[in-house]
Amino acid sequence: MTQVAEPDPGMIGGVPTPPLAILPRPERLFGQRAARFDVLAEGSNLGPYLRFLADLARVQARLAADLPAPTPVPSDRVALARASRMPPIDRHDAGAEPLLDDTLSALCREAAGIEMPAAARLALDAVAAATPDDRRWLLGNVLDDAIPVDSPAPHLFAAAAVQVHLARIAATLDARQLVPIRTGVCPACGGRPASSVVTGVQGAEGTRYAACSCCQTLWNEVRVKCLCCGSTKGIGLQSVDDGTGEATVRAETCDECGSWVKQMLQTKNPALDPVADDVGTLGLDALMRGGTWRRGGVNPFLIGY
Amino acid sequence: MNIDLSRRGFLKLAGAGVAATSLGALGFGEAEAAELAHVRAFKLAATTEARNTCPYCSVACGIIMYSRVDDATGKKRIFHIEGDADHPTNRGTLCPKGAALKDFVNAPTRLTQPRIRKPGGTEFEPVSWDDALDRIARALKDDRDANFLSLNEAGVPVNRWTTTGFLAASATTNETAWLTYKVVRSMGVVAFDNQARV
Repeated sequence: MTQVAEPDPGMIGGVPTPPLAILPRPERLFGQRAARFDVLAEGSNLGPYLRFLADLARVQARLAADLPAPTPVPSDRVALARASRMPPIDRHDAGAEPLLDDTLSALCREAAGIEMPAAARLALDAVAAATPDDRRWLLGNVLDDAIPVDSPAPHLFAAAAVQVHLARIAATLDARQLVPIRTGVCPACGGRPASSVVTGVQGAEGTRYAACSCCQTLWNEVRVKCLCCGSTKGIGLQSVDDGTGEATVRAETCDECGSWVKQMLQTKNPALDPVADDVGTLGLDALMRGGTWRRGGVNPFLIGY
Repeated sequence: MNIDLSRRGFLKLAGAGVAATSLGALGFGEAEAAELAHVRAFKLAATTEARNTCPYCSVACGIIMYSRVDDATGKKRIFHIEGDADHPTNRGTLCPKGAALKDFVNAPTRLTQPRIRKPGGTEFEPVSWDDALDRIARALKDDRDANFLSLNEAGVPVNRWTTTGFLAASATTNETAWLTYKVVRSMGVVAFDNQARV
């Protein structure tokens, strides 16, 4: 989690109000995510997949640094979004932006150097060679949070490009200009959370931030509240019982709408990454499949769970 | 999900058309199977987080109480209490008394039922809630009937009951506090204070 240090009189007395949103710094974010994937890959059964995603995150970090700067959201759009309580980034329009297509092309080019199984290579080649119409279809599905379950592989590369592109646009926003929209909806791009983190950063200790699966913005959400339906009733937590009782990644379940979203305790382990550790804790997803709840967190790297 | 796959012929080679997980579709099925086999030996552990208000004083700090089922008793037991970082009053902070709430909740000496020490008795003995409330109501009524003042020294009508005091609790909602005030003051109780100020 990153935060720009600014003078804040609210800090006096130790009761500051946590910021609504923490915008991503794309290059640093994807770099740290790559490092986290590397750590998780050590000694994990999922090692090969996590190493592949680490390399992909490194490509994302490189693209975030090297690609031409995106056009910031015009200030009148931001003002209109504020007035209508809507996210300033329009994900629907984003699908047609030439820079997003360029980002996908660059990602395909760079990702070709990653070591990967034949199936992944085949999907990457198919995306690289796809017609503009087909590419718009891929990107559109990702931006709509509607990745078809029969083709997760090509959509993974499209999603990686969308993450880079939207994170770079989100980085140009002013977090103070954002307004809360609705529980479980990103105030920057309207995306849904991959998971949420209970942060330990100064000024917001113990508060929960949902992590946007699309633009990587972190936004404040009250704890003990379902991120799918906003209910505060019937909230429970499930974790893999390893005998210690000290689980740092838990599934927050909601009996009202029957869904669950992962919650990670950065207060216990600041290294936890809302996307990398979501993949790394696939075992929790596997156990939760046996329960009555369905997964509510959106993660293009975990389609099928 | 209905997808027009014929339009997406470019994906045919890439194995599209069959529902799969990300890992399976990308060729990491072996790693996925190993992880699934590994996790099969584990079970899920359930915990509950519940919001509440600290009962000590009128600041009314928000707290989050963590509980889980105790294997020995089969009952839920609180194992951790912390300040509620979302609460605008205390933003996650607690005073030393509030920080020790868990021991207060789980204390073996905690009062969990009404008890009475009868006139002349030396020990407290447990009574039922019905019995306790009946006794309290009887004592209040008798005392009020005997000592209620309907006129002051100047002969002006008043609603004054000075021989009974009332101490209210602090962990109450506005509605509870309003009702408490209405009931107690309507009966004429003058000595009315709140545990919140203790």
